[in-house]
Amino acid sequence: MAFLELNQVTYTYRQCGRPAVAGIDLAFDRGGITAVIGPNGSGKTTLTKLMVGILRPDAGEIRLENRPLRSYSLAGIGRRIGYVFQNPNQQLFCNTAAEEIGFGLQCLGWEQEVIGERVAFYLDYFQLASYRDVFPLHLSRGERQRLAIAAVLANEPSFLVMDEPTAGLDAYRKRLLSDYLQKVVSLGRGVVFVSHDADFVRRVATRVIGLESGRIREDSGGDRGHAA
Amino acid sequence: MQLDPRTKLVMIVCITTLAVIYSTPGRLLLLLACTLLLLMMFRVDAGAVWGYLRPCMPLFLVLFLVQAFFVRGGAVLLAVGRVPLITGGGLAAGAGVVLRLGVVIAAAVLLTTASSRDFVLGLVQWKVPYEIAFMVSIAIRFLPVFREELINVVNAIQLRGVDLKQVPWGRKIGIYRRLFFPVVYGALIKAQQLSEAMEARGFRAYPQRTYLRRLKLNPADYVLMLSFVAATLVLVWVQIRP
Repeated sequence: MAFLELNQVTYTYRQCGRPAVAGIDLAFDRGGITAVIGPNGSGKTTLTKLMVGILRPDAGEIRLENRPLRSYSLAGIGRRIGYVFQNPNQQLFCNTAAEEIGFGLQCLGWEQEVIGERVAFYLDYFQLASYRDVFPLHLSRGERQRLAIAAVLANEPSFLVMDEPTAGLDAYRKRLLSDYLQKVVSLGRGVVFVSHDADFVRRVATRVIGLESGRIREDSGGDRGHAA
Repeated sequence: MQLDPRTKLVMIVCITTLAVIYSTPGRLLLLLACTLLLLMMFRVDAGAVWGYLRPCMPLFLVLFLVQAFFVRGGAVLLAVGRVPLITGGGLAAGAGVVLRLGVVIAAAVLLTTASSRDFVLGLVQWKVPYEIAFMVSIAIRFLPVFREELINVVNAIQLRGVDLKQVPWGRKIGIYRRLFFPVVYGALIKAQQLSEAMEARGFRAYPQRTYLRRLKLNPADYVLMLSFVAATLVLVWVQIRP
């Protein structure tokens, strides 16, 4: 049984005539790192938004842990799948970097001491410790990206979906991210990420899904996939 | 119907003026019906109008309840002992406030039937300083962006595992209050970045600007503008005459 399964998923934006994604069949297990690649406008971001329930498919079905995704609340999905938005500004909403990382844990009722430790760890790992009390939108693009990733990872979800996580990161920070993703996978969690960074994909991904015009062009290493 | 954006602006000003002048629910309901009819004539999708009105429903409910409970007048409809709780006047005032806001929002949907560039052009041709015209157009353009941003933030919060529907109201208000500052401040930062980008591209470099296109008012525009202004003046006079 796959952790997350997409069956014949199609989605069309209201303002657009043609489907952004069409007839997508995919299955993801916990474990392994999957890269979704493809040219601009090929439906990569739409696919990730469908996977985390921000968008609902017009046709087809998505199942999470063998239950229809639509039967979960967004928060229920969020407790299982961590999502890093394409634009970090869209997911940073707290007054300080530390608050941003601890927000989810605080709302879920974790003990203050544990929250403090975890916040300190992620600030340190992503080299944001000196920005602990800085307003997130005052950080640089790369720093905001790292903070967005840290804030999602801090919740330790079973599965991660990341939309262009390497955008704005330098080579050293990309290596830190890839090391961390390997660690996440070794703990039995799965990762799907969208990327245009061929080197990063080659180094990190164990499966590559190629999209073109909203359809799967290639799926190397997956259980299921349809060539367009 | 292809009309000049200035004609649409005149229509909006006339409709909102009447919405402010009218106070009885009957007249406001009629005005709302006329506004919706006008939107249908401009082929605005009913779903789109509902999309603008729906997020305001909680606000409408709060305003209705506040007016219904605190405005006194007319027959007492509900009382606790000798204390009147809801009166006919209170219900009428509540319905009036909700309908008035509904008219204003529905009229504003007319703005979506023309591009913000055309509105700027129209205002500039009416001798409005182009800085102010740009400001208006950017405000119009950024309203959906701001709305989208709020939706993104709410999605992001929920995707961190916080079920806003399950959170008790006290904590929910606390979460929203905490969000208010970063969202508003984020909007200010974006406004600053936008102004820098505009100035870097020569905005306000010269006092005069030229435009590739010129809008031209057709006879239908003149007829509609005059009809709306005349009808509004008559209705206002009827409403306020001693």
